[in-house]
Amino acid sequence: MGGVIRGLLPFAVAVPVLAALQVLTADAPFLVILSLTVGVNIVLAVSLNIVNGMTGQFSIGHAGFMAVGAYVGGVLSKVTSEYGISFLPEVVSDQVLFALSLVVGGAVAALFGFVVGLPSLRLKGDYLAIVTLGFGEIIRVVVQNTELFGKALGLSGVPARTTLFSCWLVVVVVVVVAKRIHDSSHGRALLAIREDEIAAEAMGVNTTAYKVRSFVVASFFAGVAGGVFAHYQSIVAPSSFTYVKSMEVVVMIVAGGLGSTTGAIVAAVFLTLLPEGLRSVLLAVTGDGALAQKVEQIRMPLYGLLLVVLMLLRPQGLFGTRELWDMGPFRKKRAPSPPSPLSSSASPGAAPEVVR
Amino acid sequence: MSLLKVHRATMQFGGLKALSDFSLDVAQGDLQGLIGPNGAGKTTAFNVMTGVYRPTSGAVVVDGERMNGRLPHQVNRAGLARTFQNIRLFKELTALDNVKVACLADDRPPSSPFSRARIDGLRRQGRFAPAHALDAWGNYLDWWRALFLTSGYRADEAHIEERALRLLDVMGLAHRAGEQARNLPYGEQRRLEIARALATSPKVLLLDEPAAGMNTKEKAELMVQIRRLRDEFALGVLLIEHDMKLVMGICEQITVLDHGETIAVGTPDQVKKDPKVIEAYLGVESKELQA
Amino acid sequence: MSDLLQHVLNGLAAGTIYALVALGYTMVYGVLKLINFAHGDVMMVGVYVGYASAKQMGRDTSSSFLGVTLVFLLSMAMCAALGFLIERFAYRPLRDKPKLTALITAIGMSFFLSYSFQLEASLGGLTVLPGAAPRAFPDVITSQVWLIIGDVVVSNKQVISVVVALALMGGLQFLVFRTRFGMAMRAVSFDHRTAGLMGIPVDRVIALTFMLGSALAAGAGILYAIKDTLVQPLMGVTVGLKAFVAAVIGGIGHVPGAVVGSLCLGLVEEFVVGYGGSTWRDAVAFGFLIAVLLFRPEGIFGRVTAEKV
Repeated sequence: MGGVIRGLLPFAVAVPVLAALQVLTADAPFLVILSLTVGVNIVLAVSLNIVNGMTGQFSIGHAGFMAVGAYVGGVLSKVTSEYGISFLPEVVSDQVLFALSLVVGGAVAALFGFVVGLPSLRLKGDYLAIVTLGFGEIIRVVVQNTELFGKALGLSGVPARTTLFSCWLVVVVVVVVAKRIHDSSHGRALLAIREDEIAAEAMGVNTTAYKVRSFVVASFFAGVAGGVFAHYQSIVAPSSFTYVKSMEVVVMIVAGGLGSTTGAIVAAVFLTLLPEGLRSVLLAVTGDGALAQKVEQIRMPLYGLLLVVLMLLRPQGLFGTRELWDMGPFRKKRAPSPPSPLSSSASPGAAPEVVR
Repeated sequence: MSLLKVHRATMQFGGLKALSDFSLDVAQGDLQGLIGPNGAGKTTAFNVMTGVYRPTSGAVVVDGERMNGRLPHQVNRAGLARTFQNIRLFKELTALDNVKVACLADDRPPSSPFSRARIDGLRRQGRFAPAHALDAWGNYLDWWRALFLTSGYRADEAHIEERALRLLDVMGLAHRAGEQARNLPYGEQRRLEIARALATSPKVLLLDEPAAGMNTKEKAELMVQIRRLRDEFALGVLLIEHDMKLVMGICEQITVLDHGETIAVGTPDQVKKDPKVIEAYLGVESKELQA
Repeated sequence: MSDLLQHVLNGLAAGTIYALVALGYTMVYGVLKLINFAHGDVMMVGVYVGYASAKQMGRDTSSSFLGVTLVFLLSMAMCAALGFLIERFAYRPLRDKPKLTALITAIGMSFFLSYSFQLEASLGGLTVLPGAAPRAFPDVITSQVWLIIGDVVVSNKQVISVVVALALMGGLQFLVFRTRFGMAMRAVSFDHRTAGLMGIPVDRVIALTFMLGSALAAGAGILYAIKDTLVQPLMGVTVGLKAFVAAVIGGIGHVPGAVVGSLCLGLVEEFVVGYGGSTWRDAVAFGFLIAVLLFRPEGIFGRVTAEKV
């Protein structure tokens, strides 16, 4: 039981802090919107990093899962928007229903992740990349042809329920989950698959199952991110979930360092704020709206160029596979103190106890 | 009792018979050698035994269970662990984590309702469905336990860590625990591979050229160590080795392969005198060996 | 019946164009074991070069036989140069790095090319980057109906694209299997380190392969643009991905396989569109790809290669 309490500690800290932030930013809608964009991107980057960074598979269709979560969650909220849970005040009831549609959206996305994860049993590297990309496109085409999802126009009138608090609570959840997976035996199995799939398999790791699971977890959170996104945009259009969005997330995790959760976070924050910041500065200084608009266009080719330059000059990205807490003053001593040298094999006479 | 039994295994790649009618029997306490010139099919034999290849015909039986068509991780769980000729460590991970990954197969304490022993017991009784369900459910619970950091989970992790450290210690690598595998010197990498294989609690250990690239002194030490591992862990050991002197010195039984065919089986002395072996393999070195 | 025949004809004509692009993927994959994601975007650049040169010549010159040939040659030459540059500066430094690095670079390059062309920029009156607006490709070949059998219509553009495509493919097959350069290419494809030790100039062979593939893509792009007539910067991504799908279906690295895969894809797409599913068109190629990869990952003609343990 004590373990569970410790397990919930990050949330015990996060909840009051986020609640306070929510109150403090009540008068700054621009700041809130910015923080939501950043939050969604962090969730996407951290979750994709589980597949691409930890497991070493290369998915470039993350936006497809996001779309699933956004549409499913959005439709669910629209349908339930007229209802409330009778014994709860309206605001609370709305948030409960919101949480429900996030989870359902995530679950459906996870189901799709399972389906996409299956071919990954047989495919590697570039082939898998293409399949995930193709899958993302198929999702988009299917959505565009479905009446329920508003076809090419998209879904409008999704109730605006995302708050700074709920969005960042999701961020805290995804980061905690990513870290705990990474540090557990499951995470070690994923890393082993990344390092050498054949050796991992030979050491008793069910590589198939682990690869699929990593897809499922990542797509669940992509779906949740989609839900969060849908509930502050209010309009869900197919154009939000193209190849471009997937690439944006890929750029984030590659820049942060594939395999590093904190790297993904830092890169997601930076790459989201940079164009936004540039845009507002340009607008403030020159007063020229068209010029600020240019920033948005220049962003795309720059992402491409950034990938190429990174691979040529710093393929490990910002942090490599390390985390922020592995570095500099935060560094923990990784190596446990060596046991008594007497029992080492260098002295054949010594008889270490049997390990079973 | 026979732990690993290969019965007339044949492996065919298109028109090429890489291994034909290969039979072998390793019991607990055995230390056997598998030798032969380059391309004789030794590594193919290993791959057939460990489930990397599915034999074209014949059977591989581990501890009474038929392994044909099983995946490598299932064969490993059944009790067969191996090392690789061209070292395949998880290079970016620390030495300790390399071993911890392999502890996965045995990560639940015996007291757990989902313990490996219990699942294996069910499987041995032929009750595959409940065994599978138990395994899957245990796995699923494991994820949640890891996410909530339950005390049971932390106890398991501590158990794994302790076990991995002890194995590193056994292989003389305790002082390297926190170092990345790729930074270890060659000989230590080979030993780390053995530690990692041991972590899966094998019944039979397959070593693919464990002494390759080591100097004479290291080789001698390694052989002493292998013999000791066999006794302490109650293993059967099968090793592929190029250094003839070494194999002859340590192994009690030797199987000689040439062009996929088994050309001789016997004690080092018998094999040494076998004219076929001398012709196929020892030709050049036979004098040196006789000396 | 004639409806069916018309669809078969259109499908084959579309397939031959995919085939030309697919050949580029397959050749590069053959020598480098890398899927050159930027291949489709090189094609797009070729189309814009063709567009610019045709505009520059004016309508009369560009629609003469000499003019058309010049448009093709110019764009193919420019693309060969672009292919050379990409290989030299983006891929060559990564040749011995993990495969993932090269893959990411290729994706980045594709993104860079297609989205740079979405920008509008001009330098001293000369348009450098065209912008996102779709443009109609100049009518360098005037549409004519050459043959009518019953209700089946065969246009000159279809015939020309099939003939040009077949000629280019024939030339490629000759090059790969009948020339010294082709032999070097095949050797590099088999094992580039050993090929290097045998005195084959590996760098040059790979560079030439890239240039060749890029030139083919440019040719294909113009044929495509003439038929479809709308040119826009993201066309490379769409056509490129489909051609890649075709190459995988045929068995990547296999020249006739790429052609067969492309024809299959052209036909399937044409039938889906022809029988009322035009909004599903883009999903078809990927659905087809996923099915092939699941049931026969090596493609129709490919061989299974297992990693050596």
